[in-house]
Amino acid sequence: MNFPSEFKYTKDHEWVSSADSKIGVTAYAIEQLGDIVHIELPEVGKELKHGASFGTIESTKTVSDLYMPVSGKIIAVNQAVLKSPESLQMDPYKNGWLIQISPVGEATGLMSAKDYETFVAGH
Amino acid sequence: MSDTNDTSLKTPLYHQHKACGAKVIEFGGWLMPVSYTSVLAEHKAVREKCGVFDVSHMGEVRVKGPQAEAFVQHITMNDAAKLKPGQGQYSALLNESGGMIDDLIVYRLGVDEFFICINAANRAKDFQWISSHAKSFNIEVTNESDRWAQLAVQGPTSLEAMLAIIDPADRSTLEALPYTNIAKARVAGRECLVARTGYTGEHGYEIYLPADHAEKLWLALLGTASKSGIVPVGLGARDTLRLEACYLLYGNDMNDETTPLEAGVAWAVKLNKPGFIGKEALVQQKANGTKQKIVALKMKEDGIPRHGMTVYWRGEPAGFVTSGSVLPTVGGAGGMAMVASGVVENDELEVDIRGKRKLATVVKRPLYSAKTK
Repeated sequence: MNFPSEFKYTKDHEWVSSADSKIGVTAYAIEQLGDIVHIELPEVGKELKHGASFGTIESTKTVSDLYMPVSGKIIAVNQAVLKSPESLQMDPYKNGWLIQISPVGEATGLMSAKDYETFVAGH
Repeated sequence: MSDTNDTSLKTPLYHQHKACGAKVIEFGGWLMPVSYTSVLAEHKAVREKCGVFDVSHMGEVRVKGPQAEAFVQHITMNDAAKLKPGQGQYSALLNESGGMIDDLIVYRLGVDEFFICINAANRAKDFQWISSHAKSFNIEVTNESDRWAQLAVQGPTSLEAMLAIIDPADRSTLEALPYTNIAKARVAGRECLVARTGYTGEHGYEIYLPADHAEKLWLALLGTASKSGIVPVGLGARDTLRLEACYLLYGNDMNDETTPLEAGVAWAVKLNKPGFIGKEALVQQKANGTKQKIVALKMKEDGIPRHGMTVYWRGEPAGFVTSGSVLPTVGGAGGMAMVASGVVENDELEVDIRGKRKLATVVKRPLYSAKTK
């Protein structure tokens, strides 16, 4: 499974790009969820704290909360994945980003790609 | 998502599911395949071609003896006396208050012999209930749940898949088998019971087979794939398929406190037959009118209704979603809800989806119906 090395990861299976502060969910999460049928994301401009729910991702069977890997203000929401949530299954990273934020403060408790890979291997 | 719980039960096909790459979950104490490839792909396969489901977790109870008919009449709500040998009917066990202990299929195998298929999660409860009422009848009640595996073969090409593995001597029986009927047939080399029933809304069969024949029959069915297009289908698609067809799921859509009049299966209640457990309560409820009923709904706005979400009608809370999902064949999202009995078709409802009220419309049941079943 592919976990790009330029991203940082959470235990809840979100990724965050330090280059442009885009946030998404990992290929592992997508595989666990199965068919993605619905995604809800916040309005641009909303400020959310680290660990707060910024939306939901829904498969045929379950609804999962999405959590902020870092505190920040939402500056963009990916309208394309809202329209076709199933596209996440093909590409959860490049075109599959969910939100872009303007981060506030330092990110803490995030894992490197290598650590995340070890983390999910233990599941 | 652990699949190593030692106390969980496994069907005889557990290793086949793992070999097919199934994602396995615990369901009602059983380790069952939720999907093999994707829920949506498996759903589509059943609507367009054919799927095979391992439903060996379902229970089977046999009632045999001179008073078998009188007993089945006493404990179930449909009219079992109307069944000729080889015929089956949808029915339910009711408690004294008319609440549904379980919904089930009653098959008549012979003049004095009935075969009842019950829900997996209710196996112990049902058998105890049935046994406790059997004492004053001259009958023998056997819980045969562990003896039988059960496979459902569902979809437009299901007959083709079945004909490929059935003994040539039984082909004409299968081809002529009417909906809800059951017949003995040799399938992949052993005698089985084959019923023309299902839980998907498609033409299909449910095969009751000896547990030690399950692997052979499973592989034989999958071996017809190049012709029938059959694929293994998990519980995920089983749920979306049955929901589009508006078949009830025990524990979600109804329970011990729901009467069949409320659950939308009044057609299977025969109040004109001799007394049965729960009849008095239903007669009274019918006279007084039901306060709530099951309706089908389709979302008009974004969002997926899920079990337990509150439903608003004319601005007031009027019930809750009993089952909800995306509707892969119908399109959009929808489901069923238990609502105030004043709600009628085409009414607008609001579903509280995580704090936001989203518009839905009451539609005719079922949400989906096949051209031929």
